[in-house]
Amino acid sequence: MKFASSAKFAAVALTAALALTACGGGNSSSGGSAGPVDGKGKKLSVLTGVNAQYSAQQKQWFTDIAAKFKAQTGADVEFETFASANDELTRIQTSVVSGQGPDVYSLGTTFTPTAYATKAFVTLSDDDWKKLGGKDKFNQAALGISGPDAQHQAGIPFVSRPFVMAYNKDILAAAGIDKPASSWDELAAQAKKMTNPTTGTFGLATGYKDNFDPWKFIWAMSVQAGNPLVDGKTLKLDDPTVKKAYDTYFGWLTKDKVVDPASIGWSNSNAVAAFASGKAGYLLMTTSSSLPTLEKSAVAGKYAYATMPTTAPGQTSPQGDAANAASILSGDNVVVADYSKQKDLAFAYINLITSKDEQLNFQKIFGDLPANAEALKSLDNPALKPVADTAAKSKATPFTGAWGDIQLALLNVVVQSIPDLSKGSVDDSSLQARLKDAQTKGQASLDRASK
Amino acid sequence: MSTATTAVGRRSGEDFRPGSKRQHEVTRLMPGPMLAIILTLLCALVLIPVAYIFLASVNSDIGVARGEFLPSTFSFENYTKIWTSVGLATGLANSVLVAGSTAVVSALMSIATAYVLVRYQFRGRLTILRGLLALQSVPGTLMVLPVFVLFSSAASYLGIQVIGTQWGLFVTYLTFAMPFSTWVMVTYLRGLPRELEEAARIDGASNLGVLVRIILPLSWPGVVVSGIFAFLLGWNDVLFASVMTRPESQTAAVALQVFGASQEGGAIPFYGQMMAASLVCAAPVVILYLIFQRYLVGGLTAGGVK
Amino acid sequence: MSTDSLTAGKASRRKSSHAAKPGPQSPENAPRRRKGLSERNRPLWMLIPGGLLMVIIIVVPLLLGIFMSGLDLDQYSLRKWVSAPFIGVQNFVEALTASPLLHAIWLSVSYSLLAMVVTIPLGIAGAVATQNAFKGRAVIRSIFLIPYVLPSFVVATVWRTMFQPGSVIDSALHSVGIDPGLWLNGPQSFWTLILVQIWASWPFVYLLALSGLQSVDHEVHEASALDGALWWNKLRYVVFPYLKGPLALAFLIGMLHHINNFTLPFVLFGVPAPSDVELLPILTYVTSFQSFRFGLSAAMAFISLILIAIPLFVYLRAVKLDDSETPGGKK
Repeated sequence: MKFASSAKFAAVALTAALALTACGGGNSSSGGSAGPVDGKGKKLSVLTGVNAQYSAQQKQWFTDIAAKFKAQTGADVEFETFASANDELTRIQTSVVSGQGPDVYSLGTTFTPTAYATKAFVTLSDDDWKKLGGKDKFNQAALGISGPDAQHQAGIPFVSRPFVMAYNKDILAAAGIDKPASSWDELAAQAKKMTNPTTGTFGLATGYKDNFDPWKFIWAMSVQAGNPLVDGKTLKLDDPTVKKAYDTYFGWLTKDKVVDPASIGWSNSNAVAAFASGKAGYLLMTTSSSLPTLEKSAVAGKYAYATMPTTAPGQTSPQGDAANAASILSGDNVVVADYSKQKDLAFAYINLITSKDEQLNFQKIFGDLPANAEALKSLDNPALKPVADTAAKSKATPFTGAWGDIQLALLNVVVQSIPDLSKGSVDDSSLQARLKDAQTKGQASLDRASK
Repeated sequence: MSTATTAVGRRSGEDFRPGSKRQHEVTRLMPGPMLAIILTLLCALVLIPVAYIFLASVNSDIGVARGEFLPSTFSFENYTKIWTSVGLATGLANSVLVAGSTAVVSALMSIATAYVLVRYQFRGRLTILRGLLALQSVPGTLMVLPVFVLFSSAASYLGIQVIGTQWGLFVTYLTFAMPFSTWVMVTYLRGLPRELEEAARIDGASNLGVLVRIILPLSWPGVVVSGIFAFLLGWNDVLFASVMTRPESQTAAVALQVFGASQEGGAIPFYGQMMAASLVCAAPVVILYLIFQRYLVGGLTAGGVK
Repeated sequence: MSTDSLTAGKASRRKSSHAAKPGPQSPENAPRRRKGLSERNRPLWMLIPGGLLMVIIIVVPLLLGIFMSGLDLDQYSLRKWVSAPFIGVQNFVEALTASPLLHAIWLSVSYSLLAMVVTIPLGIAGAVATQNAFKGRAVIRSIFLIPYVLPSFVVATVWRTMFQPGSVIDSALHSVGIDPGLWLNGPQSFWTLILVQIWASWPFVYLLALSGLQSVDHEVHEASALDGALWWNKLRYVVFPYLKGPLALAFLIGMLHHINNFTLPFVLFGVPAPSDVELLPILTYVTSFQSFRFGLSAAMAFISLILIAIPLFVYLRAVKLDDSETPGGKK
């Protein structure tokens, strides 16, 4: 079985390679852009995340794209959706193991390193990029997490979804604040002015029990203080900058008392709800996808988005590259499965959805920022400006297959500290112990990655 | 089978006949007030969270996320939205098809298996009985990947495409339901006296004849219970259904899961629609049970043997 | 006949069966085997369809899983998993020494047991209370089923929202002057899990108990009515023996369900789980689907399978669930 399967695999790979070279040769005269691919009678299978907020629009988008793709290539597209990150992971793993499944996948950016590590997705050659209209077509910042280096990239940027904060203009104005904070210290100071427990208003809204948010705060504050967390083969969670980040993050609750005490049990959506009902000055760590909820809420018309602070706690101005670490590089990449027997068709599809017009159309419907450089430049909606600015100031998380574990370890420190948080303080020694544990686990995973 | 149904129906009807007061008293297991207390407590236990689900289904999503019990706004629109937003109708149809056929086939297969295991002595009988329980203890999370590999190799080596079809799910659920369903039937069949079968055998009935004409009609309570378990296994599974279905073969549980999906840093999940959809999904099962619970009367009550 | 069934719970069981041992056996070790019905014309073919299915869909993948537990299988070797390096028992060593596996097994087993101890009386009470006909019985029987019908992740989501700090449950308790503390984190989360599990799984016991009640012969009711037995004594000495089989089964299957229940703790507490509820399925799930250590995860699952199988078989023998009323056993 082992021989049979690898022989079969080799045969498939060979045919695919032949097909690729044949196509590449044939198209080289057509100025880099993809020539028409004949996909008559074929069906491309695409896996993408379900968009619960805009489900009707998403269905319409599927239909429209399928029609356009059919017109261009003669082939059909079948869309499959996954509901959650776990669902997605399971799908990817089963497909990778069995060598069959969708041809094209949509992946969250932070998952791209792990996917790349499986080597189950096509690392794009120069020819492949040509089929997509060249690398220059894309916003160069968005390519930051497509692969370990510029020559080895598997993820094709599709949309950007940087993390920003939203603020309630009325509450800020009432506290005499004219400009959203640009450093974490200033943020805490402003939040104190806005907090009034008797009316149930708090300066900040954030969820300590969210499954993703906490590590993003720690990452941002640490990176802004000059610690990239992963330095070559060493993990640096035992660094004082990381501890300072946790202290600041926990401090909002224990020392500054600027968040609702109930937020130790909140996920991000509970924080959105608190902000949407006008009970918070800032909503931290959100994206433009909170827009539909906020537009229908009590704060409609009273809020705006802003870039989150880029000055590390304890500092007064951004140090080094800190100004460019306003958010993790976030959004969706598309990858092509290595086992796919119709890679050309897959590239033709990706070429279509990353074209300027389609990207602008997508932005208009779903609110996510284009990864197409021209499309991004042509955006002129003022409300989106802070979000677009943040997209340019986003920094990629370390490109290693171990990142998933590191993320989990960072998160685990918060999860295990929640009982202490509810008592009002996290004592130094237990935080140190948790950090040490995270360091050990994460380093072990990093060792496997660099083996 | 139809004769069996009417026979059972007739028997259960006896309790309600005007002259059956004495019978009722005889089978009573508990004094009235005690009964009332237990029923009230259990109903409260079940219904308070269910009431919360209902109230959340007519509340706004923000209201639910803020932890309200009584809705501040009130609207039934979630009950209309769910049909378009996730394709719940297709999901329900697939679920009924897959879970329903799983229930029927697993009940029939398990009664045959259990019958052999209970009535006949052969080498390896106990090994099989214990093995069944061992299989029951294999965790689903361990099985997803290997089962998927198995099915996908069936596609690449035998040319049988099971992944993405209702067949794949049906076979998986059927198999996972079998050990338990068989055990339910084993414990049930043990309670049946063998005299009945022996009488039938003297009349010249075959093995299959005995099973279908004697055992099955007497085993309705067991069949209903093992059928319900098999049905609910398929009805509620998300783990296998999410990797083995395509949009057109998706089950209701997978469709429902979409509502729980909260994107990173995104908006509030559609709690209202999720609650509404889960009540809508629960309804057919509860109604089905409402119908079938009539067969949960003793196969041997009141003169069945004589 | 009725006396026979009456004592079925106690008397008519053989000590143990030698026929249980697999492998080659001489035929004379079944001295009690009754010739006749059991020997001739055994329709063993009826076992084939179910057996075949289980071998293909459960046993083969299980063997595959066991094979994986010997591989150094992670995201770097997943694609060509058959040729992943074979590392023998290393995964098992790591699982036992360098992972919270044993703690997870302990948590899983103790929570399952505690939940089961409460669900059994609840289930019996529900079954006994809906055994006799009364107006609206059908409706109440169906209501009892609801927790079992709702998908696990809905149940978990609902309880999570209700248990959130400052939410419904907290405000209800506050109004009677109790400060309950944290439900979903810290030591109390263990009890929260048990509570929700009880709510979700008592109908399972109830269903089995109800089906068990149906096998009580009518003659038994009549006999005890003639005796004028008190209801409590009647329940205890006459009816409960009939429930022994179904309840022993319910206990066993319920335990296994709880131990393998992934969705409930996963949705209630999220990942990474608070250390007080880092249960076995959560641990194996995280290991395989988040950390991509498939080999290690398979080893963990396999170890836990063995650790759970041992008490399972001890229990089986203790309650003689697999051996009651064997064909030759009836005297």
